[in-house]
Amino acid sequence: METVLSIQQISKQYGKIQAVKKLSIEVEKGQIFGILGPNGSGKTTTLSIILDLIRANEGSYRWFGEEPSKESRKRIGSVIENPNFFPYLNPVDNLKIVADIKDLDYNDIDRVLHLTGLHERKKSRFRTFSFGMKQRLAIASAMLGEPEVLILDEPTNGLDPQGIAHIRDLILLVAGQGTTIILASHLLDEVQKICSHVAVLSKGKKLFDGKVSEVLAISDSFELRAANREDLISVITTFPGFKSLDSSKDIVQVFFKGDVNPGEINTYLFSNGITLNHLSERKRSLEQHFLELLQNNK
Amino acid sequence: MIKLLKIEFKKIRSYKTFWILTGVYFIFLSLGIVMAEFIINNMVDNMNRHLPIPLPHVNIFFFPDVWQNIAFFATIRYVLIFPAIIIIILITNEFTFKTIRQNVINGLSKFEFLLSKLYLILLISVVLTLFMAFGSLIIGLSHTSENTLALIFEKSAFITGFFITILTLQIYAFFFGFMLRNTGLSIALFTLYALIVEPILYYFLKSPIVFKNDISTYLPLNAVLRVTEYPAIPVLKKVMGLNLQEKVTLGGCLLPLLYSSIMILIVVWTMKKKDL
Repeated sequence: METVLSIQQISKQYGKIQAVKKLSIEVEKGQIFGILGPNGSGKTTTLSIILDLIRANEGSYRWFGEEPSKESRKRIGSVIENPNFFPYLNPVDNLKIVADIKDLDYNDIDRVLHLTGLHERKKSRFRTFSFGMKQRLAIASAMLGEPEVLILDEPTNGLDPQGIAHIRDLILLVAGQGTTIILASHLLDEVQKICSHVAVLSKGKKLFDGKVSEVLAISDSFELRAANREDLISVITTFPGFKSLDSSKDIVQVFFKGDVNPGEINTYLFSNGITLNHLSERKRSLEQHFLELLQNNK
Repeated sequence: MIKLLKIEFKKIRSYKTFWILTGVYFIFLSLGIVMAEFIINNMVDNMNRHLPIPLPHVNIFFFPDVWQNIAFFATIRYVLIFPAIIIIILITNEFTFKTIRQNVINGLSKFEFLLSKLYLILLISVVLTLFMAFGSLIIGLSHTSENTLALIFEKSAFITGFFITILTLQIYAFFFGFMLRNTGLSIALFTLYALIVEPILYYFLKSPIVFKNDISTYLPLNAVLRVTEYPAIPVLKKVMGLNLQEKVTLGGCLLPLLYSSIMILIVVWTMKKKDL
């Protein structure tokens, strides 16, 4: 796999506040990489560092395996924080400035305005746009010239449900064409629906990263029931990998360390003379996982 | 350079504030020049009331003095403040709208961004200078009956002086804009400094009681204003033997150029260090 972005141990301090702490992230070509974290977890600071807006106190990063430069930024389309355009210019003139900077011709402007549904408003000044339209123009500007990488910072912030669905479809469409996407969000749902990979940040530190599908596959607990409840409880506590159980309800909920196969549990209990009349695996959602990770790091 | 100027032009082309301020500046500039002769003759009339032999009315728009007089009236403090404010607005807008961040994200280096503003300043200075040169030539031709080429261009160096003044003053404004990054604050502090603080400092430093040597000429804005410090009023020369300023000196131009170079270096260094 080709590495698009490699962040090595970057740290950034604002006075006494440690915004980013020894953060390392690798993004491969073609990934939809989610950076997930609550507000103030260092997502925007990280993106600002890799786009040369902010200087990191330590650490380094590389784009496309090269030292970062203005030329590498021309291959990236980005939206950081709020949409930033000249309020007195219409979207076409605003995008022409972007095209000039990126050494693109103006042919692509019409396409991105159509894609983001702003074509009818191409003669209105940016100032007259609603927040949702401003956000869409930012995405249009990021998509101008079909860049190799798209960086989106909270792209659906401030949009109505229809707008959110539209932008998500757009992201998936662009990703389908092979564009690498880096998406920062505080919405688990969004990352879960769009991303292939995820890094979870909290207070500037990376708590976890990996494939979204793997995160979702981690089984959290099993629900068990047998005719003899007391025997079930005493036997299951001897199962290798047992962590804890909740026996407050009729069904006994059992937690294990690491991955456990339901077949192993069944075989173990049966060989110890217990016949289950209920066994179900409860997968934890990314949300639960995320909250748990945050909890453990307090 | 062309690419950066193209971007700058797109930024100002439909920016109403820029064109309104530029319009007002041109009105002030033209009015100042048209009124100059009238104001001076008014002063002469006032003086004549106390003089036994009345002074004749002056004509300040004939060759070669027209260059000096127009350069002088076009660079008085109150007129100069306009282009400075325009530059401050154009620069601090980029911070207010955060478009400087977006420009850097899109692939402009911070240095290129500074260059684009410096090129714009240079372009504005060249356009203004050409306008003034052309205007002085027309006014001079219509006020002088006997012209020789040597006479026409004798004092045309004052046009270079005008160029240096307008260029360096805009660089001072560039400095204020990039250091403060806030439109209101930059305009307020720049205007306060140019119209109040420096004039006070000037009289303080000029006073022989305070300093033995007059160091008031080293004040940054004063250094700019001194390039074309005085008008040429022949009646004063003839009657009172006063010869205020004969030419634009290299030394006079070097000091504001030195100050503005230092300011550019400070801005470059600060932009390198500071986050956007």
